[in-house]
Amino acid sequence: MIEARVAVKNQLGLHARAAARLVRTANRYQSSLRLERLDGTVSADAKSILNVLMLGATGGTELRAIAEGHDEAEALAALSGMFEDGFGELQP
Amino acid sequence: MIMEASPKPEERRWQGLSVSEGLVIGRVLRIHKGTRHAYPARIEVGDVESEINRFREAIEQAKEQLLGIKEHAAKLLGEAHSYIFDAHLLMLEDRQLSEEIESYITKRRANAEWAVKVIGDRLLSVYAEIKDDYLRERGSDIEDVIHRVLEALSGERPSYLDSVQDAVIVSEDLLPSAVAELNLEHARALVTDAGGWTSHTAIIARGLAIPAMVGLEDLCQHARTGDQIIVDAYKGEVILHPSAATLESCHTEIAGRKGTTAVAAPSGTGIVQTRDGVQIRLRANVELPAEFKGVRKYGAMGIGLYRSEFLLAQPGVLLSEEKQYETYAEVAQLAGADGAVVRLFDLGGDKSGESVIDSERNPALGLRAIRFCLRNEIVLRTQVRAIMRAASKGRLDIVLPMVADVADVNRAQAIIAEERSKLEASGIECGPVRIGAMIEVPSAVMTAEKIARVVDFFELGTNDLVQYVLAVDRGNDKVADWFRTLHPAVLDSLGRTLKAARDAGIPAIVCGEMASTPVYAVILVGLGATDLSMTPSSIPRVTKVMAGIDAADAQAIATECLRCASADEVEKLVREEFMTRWPNLFTAKTLPSTNLSR
Repeated sequence: MIEARVAVKNQLGLHARAAARLVRTANRYQSSLRLERLDGTVSADAKSILNVLMLGATGGTELRAIAEGHDEAEALAALSGMFEDGFGELQP
Repeated sequence: MIMEASPKPEERRWQGLSVSEGLVIGRVLRIHKGTRHAYPARIEVGDVESEINRFREAIEQAKEQLLGIKEHAAKLLGEAHSYIFDAHLLMLEDRQLSEEIESYITKRRANAEWAVKVIGDRLLSVYAEIKDDYLRERGSDIEDVIHRVLEALSGERPSYLDSVQDAVIVSEDLLPSAVAELNLEHARALVTDAGGWTSHTAIIARGLAIPAMVGLEDLCQHARTGDQIIVDAYKGEVILHPSAATLESCHTEIAGRKGTTAVAAPSGTGIVQTRDGVQIRLRANVELPAEFKGVRKYGAMGIGLYRSEFLLAQPGVLLSEEKQYETYAEVAQLAGADGAVVRLFDLGGDKSGESVIDSERNPALGLRAIRFCLRNEIVLRTQVRAIMRAASKGRLDIVLPMVADVADVNRAQAIIAEERSKLEASGIECGPVRIGAMIEVPSAVMTAEKIARVVDFFELGTNDLVQYVLAVDRGNDKVADWFRTLHPAVLDSLGRTLKAARDAGIPAIVCGEMASTPVYAVILVGLGATDLSMTPSSIPRVTKVMAGIDAADAQAIATECLRCASADEVEKLVREEFMTRWPNLFTAKTLPSTNLSR
């Protein structure tokens, strides 16, 4: 199991469209992928769009991403990359 | 025995904002956002499995519909607008959701409808707890999906989907999903209670070239599917249950208009000559893919204005350079040898929709258009790179929206030059791009001759110019009577700007709504305009009028107009002059009326 800190960089946060991109990517990997709020209040299966939306992650939110499985390294890298580029959305 | 007929409901009229011109008589097709009711029923243990199967089939059916909607939305509105349906699809594929519903069916021996409703409501209530306004509002996506599944379970598709043909669509507001689901291409008119110039309804109706009105306030409470209705988007009026007399006069007017509006297809060059030999260029304004076909169909001389912000489904969501490049290359190809002018993202102000950016007290005067681009350089740089690259595939120019003065132009030009050097240094092919200024604010009008020295061309955005010169919010119904396109101050601003361009030897394209209205187009020509850009469907009627007038006459009238002191005086003058000089081209109904009262 590996984990990494990620931050929601796009201003709109993890809204439906951004969440859709995240979930599509997560589903390409065998490993289980979770996203948690740092205070541990909410934890979401990154392969479920409804779960991801429930995080209510607004712009600026920091999350813990946890991957577990044989392709965990690639999965976590892909996920972090998406957060890094703000899901392709600009940040005015 | 005498059967008593139910009394015919009384005629009622509503005033609204016309966003796409036309006059039609039709039958109402009322579209509800609609909530579906579900009722609990206890099923037998032996039926649980078949109930689960029924649920799974409904999911499959809903997915199939959504795939179709997504494709249609991409075609009609552009790809950026179709992504939201991908989120809807993922919700249907969400294993947690289906597992919860199936387990509810099994444990409670509930019917599928009830299970979907209970789990759906539970989901929505959790979602309603989210603190962020923007994210919480996305709950409507969940609602939309649940509604679709319930509909699939009921085994019936909403009957209206098949009855769009020739109907007048009446709705509170038209959501993107409704737009994508209905074959609006076949509707006769669109009318909504909500909305302004930039609402979805407006954009789509203009794209489809069907009459449309918005801001009807409470029409929906009164209109029922099947009711007879007249939409007069020339006058800005909707008439429900028209009386026999009203119907007759409307029929007469439609017949009369046929003579003036149904103009034969133009030659296809986009150039028309006035009777005294002045050449007028007619170009196309486009924003949505739905409009692209109109460019060729109506024979425009290229694209005078491509409103690029419609590439973005939402403020704050930027398309990658690559995606933008593809679209601009397509626009260039579509425009052909005459090229296309891409207006840089006109974001901010009233175009920001549901604003997540800190709302400004006065958005029309706020951080919008070129100001927004200069403040968010990454946006500007990405866009100009994409445009310059696409310019290697066809002719493209850039126009800077809402420049205040030379300083705005200089800053934008410096950034564009920097990006060009970077592209060239990395060996990426880019084409020549001319840079123009959109003149639409008073400060730019007053310094037009200075701006003209540093740009390659001007564009005149008349909608914003009227708004800013007269200090009238064009989205505010309460001041609609002060929004006077033919105000002498507006005409003077246009005349000055056109002269500044002429003196500097640069082209000037007039590209607001003004150019697409024949009466205004004549005045524009009178003020010295020779290059007009408009909604493609307006090209035939403007062509016809241009070919029937002398530019010298138009000039004489325009000169007189500039001497007037008020919009009322100008309109009176225009009415009299036009009726006398061109009785075959204009009728009292196509000329400005003075029944406006403040």
